[in-house]
Amino acid sequence: MPDDAVLSVRGLEVAFPGGGQAVRGVDFDVHAGEVLGIVGESGSGKSVTALAITGLLDPSARVRGSIRLGGLEVTAADRETLRRMRGRDVGTIFQDPTTTLNPVLPIGRQVIEGQVAHGLVAAGAASAKAAALLQEVDIPDPVARAGQYPHQFSGGMRQRVVIAMAMAGQKRLIIADEPTTALDVTVQAQVLAVLAERRRQTGAAVILITHDLGVVAEVADRVAVMYAGRIVESGPVEAIFHRPRHPYTAGLLRSLPRLDTVAARLLPIEGQPPEAARLPTGCTFRPRCAIGRDQTLCATTDPALREDGQASAAACHFPLTGLLPPLPRPDAGAATTKGEDLLVVEDLRVHFAIRSRLLRRTIGWVRAVDGVNLTIRAGETLGLVGESGCGKTTTGRAIMGLLAVRSGCVRFGGEDITNMRRAELRRIRRQMQYVFQDPFASLNPIRTAGEIVAEPLRIHGLYEEIGGAAYVAGLFERVGLSPDMMRRMPRQFSGGQKQRIGIARALALQPKLLILDEPVAALDVSIQAQIVNLLQDLQQQLGLAYLFIAHDLSVVRHICDRVAVMYLGRIVEQSNRDVLYENPVHPYTQSLLSAVPLPDPDLRDRTRRIVLRGEIPSPARLPSGCTFHPRCFRADAICAAEVPEFTCYPGLPTLCACHHAGPTRPEPA
Amino acid sequence: MIGFVLRRLAQMLPVLLLASLAIWAMVYAVPGSPVGALVGENATPEQIQATIARLGLDRPMLLQYWSWLHHALEGDFGLSIQNREPVVTLILQRIPATLQLGLSASAVGLALGVPVALASALRPRGWLDRMLSGWSALALGVPTFWLGILLILLFAVRLRWLPSVSAYVPVMDDPAGALRNTLLPALTLGVYVSGIFARFLRAALLGELRADYVRTARSKGLRERDVIGRHVLRNALLPFVTIVGLMTASFIGGAVVTEAVFTYPGLGRLLIQAIDARDYPLIQGCIMCILVIYIGINVLVDVLYAYIDPRIDYG
Repeated sequence: MPDDAVLSVRGLEVAFPGGGQAVRGVDFDVHAGEVLGIVGESGSGKSVTALAITGLLDPSARVRGSIRLGGLEVTAADRETLRRMRGRDVGTIFQDPTTTLNPVLPIGRQVIEGQVAHGLVAAGAASAKAAALLQEVDIPDPVARAGQYPHQFSGGMRQRVVIAMAMAGQKRLIIADEPTTALDVTVQAQVLAVLAERRRQTGAAVILITHDLGVVAEVADRVAVMYAGRIVESGPVEAIFHRPRHPYTAGLLRSLPRLDTVAARLLPIEGQPPEAARLPTGCTFRPRCAIGRDQTLCATTDPALREDGQASAAACHFPLTGLLPPLPRPDAGAATTKGEDLLVVEDLRVHFAIRSRLLRRTIGWVRAVDGVNLTIRAGETLGLVGESGCGKTTTGRAIMGLLAVRSGCVRFGGEDITNMRRAELRRIRRQMQYVFQDPFASLNPIRTAGEIVAEPLRIHGLYEEIGGAAYVAGLFERVGLSPDMMRRMPRQFSGGQKQRIGIARALALQPKLLILDEPVAALDVSIQAQIVNLLQDLQQQLGLAYLFIAHDLSVVRHICDRVAVMYLGRIVEQSNRDVLYENPVHPYTQSLLSAVPLPDPDLRDRTRRIVLRGEIPSPARLPSGCTFHPRCFRADAICAAEVPEFTCYPGLPTLCACHHAGPTRPEPA
Repeated sequence: MIGFVLRRLAQMLPVLLLASLAIWAMVYAVPGSPVGALVGENATPEQIQATIARLGLDRPMLLQYWSWLHHALEGDFGLSIQNREPVVTLILQRIPATLQLGLSASAVGLALGVPVALASALRPRGWLDRMLSGWSALALGVPTFWLGILLILLFAVRLRWLPSVSAYVPVMDDPAGALRNTLLPALTLGVYVSGIFARFLRAALLGELRADYVRTARSKGLRERDVIGRHVLRNALLPFVTIVGLMTASFIGGAVVTEAVFTYPGLGRLLIQAIDARDYPLIQGCIMCILVIYIGINVLVDVLYAYIDPRIDYG
């Protein structure tokens, strides 16, 4: 064990009664000033490892092995010692800033109370110190802000508050568990910048736990990849991303859509991660591994983590060698000819009334969607991207007729459906179906999977006519599920399988258009790639058109033909996929794209990042003129005064709404 | 803050108006008449007619309601039919007694229920938790009249410590006498309501203990008692004040059985007596009074709510 390690974990095992072994022998060190990224999918044991380090596991958990923090053996320490360690030496940043702060206590008090409780800050100096800590994470007007409550802060500011809280005092170790997963990319960029700045100032060691390989490539010095409760590969960040040894690491990288290139097809990892209570014998990755699946060695012996002599280690009997080859690019000539206009949205507006308390008079409007124009042709995919709160989901629901439209027009197959009678709308809805984001909440838990998929057919009275159970079985096969699963209940399916059921349900009525609202956002990377491939296959086989609503710009680049970028209820830029990604002309699109961390550590310092000021404003109080101007780096007087027109940008197949549209950097002459 | 209270009260006015109409109509919809009770069985038709005219019962219904409402707004609920005393006087005599019993019952309930809930939530499914949830089931399950009689048998009949008949002694005039007289009925109601309080608060605490901010507080190295006392309790109080308010309000006029067991002069018993005698003005007055107190307590709960939870603004 090196002497300068802040944290040293050896042979860590964590088991829960009835839940099996969540962590099965984990070894790693973290040094001062270093960022260790721990990567893994849900259930890989990464968060349990973090909780074990802080001694915050449920009391029923059985912990074995050694966790040494400085001179302290955490696994053997009593409660009081652990409490002192948490207050003085370790800070934790949790995932969701909307729930990690106590809603009924002032921010300043929450930031400083740990320091006060451990006698590091005198009670009298607490409020001044709290304001100083808020200042360090760029909270404006910190003295007044310290007296406010969490609901008065935006999501990004709350996460910066959590960082201030976790890094207060001279913490030696910071554990950041998915610190930016709940945030938009532009806010993620701000938060990562603050985190890096505070780390430089304090010299703390950082454990960054995340599923986002882009964030890891950007921030981490070393990476440990966890699978089924073990570290399967560890090493310097460059080695992990360019020369992965373990097939799982390689598989993760191959299944990841990228912002900067287009692959013909993702290569997902087959199957799904095992449950801790039912691990396969031998190598736990073997059932999903193309190399080890038929090897007897892999079936009998779980490989140990072996050093390769270059600071890297992999737990694999047949490690990969050499550089990871890039994914095949799509054929340039394979661009499919698209059909005629299927869905045309013109100047769509959805406004929600703000009513006064006593008399319920309308005193204002939330302009959730404020003049959207879209066209989707038969068989193509239009991506609708933007940060949370920009109105993309509202747009999708309004198109489906699920929300009242204030003005504008939606035409489907040439028919205006905005003011259609109910019966006629039902007929149209058969051809237009919706797939929801959360596969866990969008399936009725007391119906069998077969009933769920058949329900739209029964609602429309088509079940017998279309072929009954045999037809539903066909749908199951189409989405890659066995028809045997029709009798199972939703809880018996994994997240990816549930999303397949959601897609099968949407396909039941043989629609022409699917509105996919964040269909892969809740899924792990390897599962996400499976669903993305399924969607692409279905489009080819059935000639479906997709409206793909998402915030993940990399997935959108991979799957979409054209992309529309939305900000505060309006489309600000729309173009062909590659033109938009390679030659964005709207400053908002440019900052969005530059904020996405790329899964390649070499690009870390080469990409110039535009960090936007502030966060997306409330659609109830829209800024004047161009609604983006308060955050825009090109804004001048005209932007605050005049609404820019949504028109063609000269020389590109791009529509853009900006007074100062133009390339990010002047093109070399 | 004051604006908030006034606005909440203003919102209650239509409720009161509708309720008054409903009460008024209900009284007339039930069979029976006070006239029969007043004039006796051998009255002549003329005597009955005269009584009806004297009471104004021969006027059109709406007119009767209107004149009742008009007087009620001026604080005049008419005269009790039984003994010709002003209804307002009768009610005002009972209100302090009712409030004293209701508030002390809730205080007993809180004193018994809150520690039970805290102890249970600190060690869920521990032996203490099991015993305590058994106790709260018992507290809920035992009928109040039975518990009241048991308490009288023990403390008044056997031990002779406390009176078996509880008179109203104002706590301001004679604290010791008030305690002696109010203790047993307050204990009877308090034990019952402590079961409800304990269950509600325990559930709220356990729900809050699963929240992310609790993990945050622990990760700061706070003591468990500070985690509970500073972070969890205040959040758990939000649903809890609602049930405390509701139960306290329910004792105003709703503690008839206990008042009867202890022959305590509360509003509930006054109302029952009025119903027995078909004393319309008194029934209407009692119910309106109970309603006003009920609404007042609810507004108080709303104020408390806004005080505890900064997300609710007074604006």
